[in-house]
Amino acid sequence: MRLENVWLRYHRRGPWVLRGVDVRIGPGEVAVVLGRNGVGKSTLLQVAAGVLRPGQGRVTDRPGRVGWVPERFPADQPFTVARYLTGMARVAGLSRAAADDAVTAWTDRLGLARFRAVRLPELSKGTAQKVGLAQAMLRPPGLLVLDEPWEGLDAATRELVPELIDEVLAADGAVLVSDHRGETIRLPGARRWTVADGALTEETPSADETVAVVEVAVPSARVASTIARLRAEGHQILRVRPDTSTDAPQPQPSAPPAALAPPVVGEAR
Amino acid sequence: MTALVRLRLVGFLRTGRALAPLLAGLVALGTLYGGGRAQPAEAYGVSAVVLFPVLAWQTKILLDVEPDVQRRLAQVTVGVARERAAGLLAAGVAALLTVAVALVFPWLVGGVTGPVDPGDRSVPAGLALGLWAHLLVVPAAVALGALASRASVGGAGYGVAVLALGGVGAVVLGLNGSAVPWLAPPIMATARTAAGDAAALTLLGLTLWALAWSAAVVGGYLWRRRAQG
Repeated sequence: MRLENVWLRYHRRGPWVLRGVDVRIGPGEVAVVLGRNGVGKSTLLQVAAGVLRPGQGRVTDRPGRVGWVPERFPADQPFTVARYLTGMARVAGLSRAAADDAVTAWTDRLGLARFRAVRLPELSKGTAQKVGLAQAMLRPPGLLVLDEPWEGLDAATRELVPELIDEVLAADGAVLVSDHRGETIRLPGARRWTVADGALTEETPSADETVAVVEVAVPSARVASTIARLRAEGHQILRVRPDTSTDAPQPQPSAPPAALAPPVVGEAR
Repeated sequence: MTALVRLRLVGFLRTGRALAPLLAGLVALGTLYGGGRAQPAEAYGVSAVVLFPVLAWQTKILLDVEPDVQRRLAQVTVGVARERAAGLLAAGVAALLTVAVALVFPWLVGGVTGPVDPGDRSVPAGLALGLWAHLLVVPAAVALGALASRASVGGAGYGVAVLALGGVGAVVLGLNGSAVPWLAPPIMATARTAAGDAAALTLLGLTLWALAWSAAVVGGYLWRRRAQG
């Protein structure tokens, strides 16, 4: 699929959100769209998915089957999880039996089985986001577009997202994903597109980029905030473990003091 | 596309908002038929006029009840043209259900009577004319409701304005002696024709007029949707 000189603005006299974006993504490729809030990441993804039409330029060779996971799943609908997903599977062209099978498979896989009879407005944000993920996967997509897919998901499902992406890539699909939490470090082979001032630039990976693992000790009460901060800075949290007196890290003379009383130890890189 | 029509229809019927236009329609018809008994063609002609704004409002609610992001999800799944068509078709089916209620209603409340004078139309002929009058209103009302929907006009205030202008305009511009009757759908002319001498050529002309007006307004709706992205 290729975006050729794509320009887009939301109102006739409004500012251009995308300015002359020209980019191509092929089968089996995944690209991560990065950038500050409001720079047009979601807009770019929606143009790619076919939700938004470019004001100028065009999108060519878009695969026939597109799965789009919006940033916020529209949960304000009078359906149960099962009824909604079955309906969307039928809309996607699956037969009744195939739709039922797909819904059962994806609700089981995403931990939605016990929510099948629950109405969409009653779901928590994270569970609703899983329904959004499920509807995009009911029919194997040739292009999967994920807008902040990790937002609100529990740890188990966050781990599942790269797995789903790998499956789409293995079937020669393409994947576009935006992320501001630093989770896309889980996608080591991904191309990295940065959107700024309406323009898109692609980071070229440097061959000599090496990775180090740093152990950090923080008080238990600050674990969540520290993890969030590190992720926001683009670091990957490998694991979080309780501290023990035997393997507690000793501060090195040249290193800044990590914490006064380190009851929890995490590894980041 | 059938699956998407069904999904939108079920989504509309399961919300309490589906009841509002139906109740409004029943109240209007109750007031209409409470005034006395009339022969079927005449009664149904006026009933169709009353239903025009009700069906347009019902269409707007049906299209608006779906969240914007869900509409975009449907668009990604089935494509732009089918998503648009499915919304209009779902609104058309809902309108036909309301029309069915409107056709049965006067018989339940004793609002219609058979031929009184020797030259009067038979009941089957009156029923056929009444059905034609109602079916003529459906595409025009669906088109107006779609044009007034959130996806077309954006803000809620503009939608109500389009709906009100369309509803009032259809009556005012359709009055006898109107200088620009073609700006409105022929619902008033249809009521007059149903009550009077319904020549085949007149029926054909009114049908073409209604279809052309509906097509033009649906064109406006599609253009607005395109402009809205």
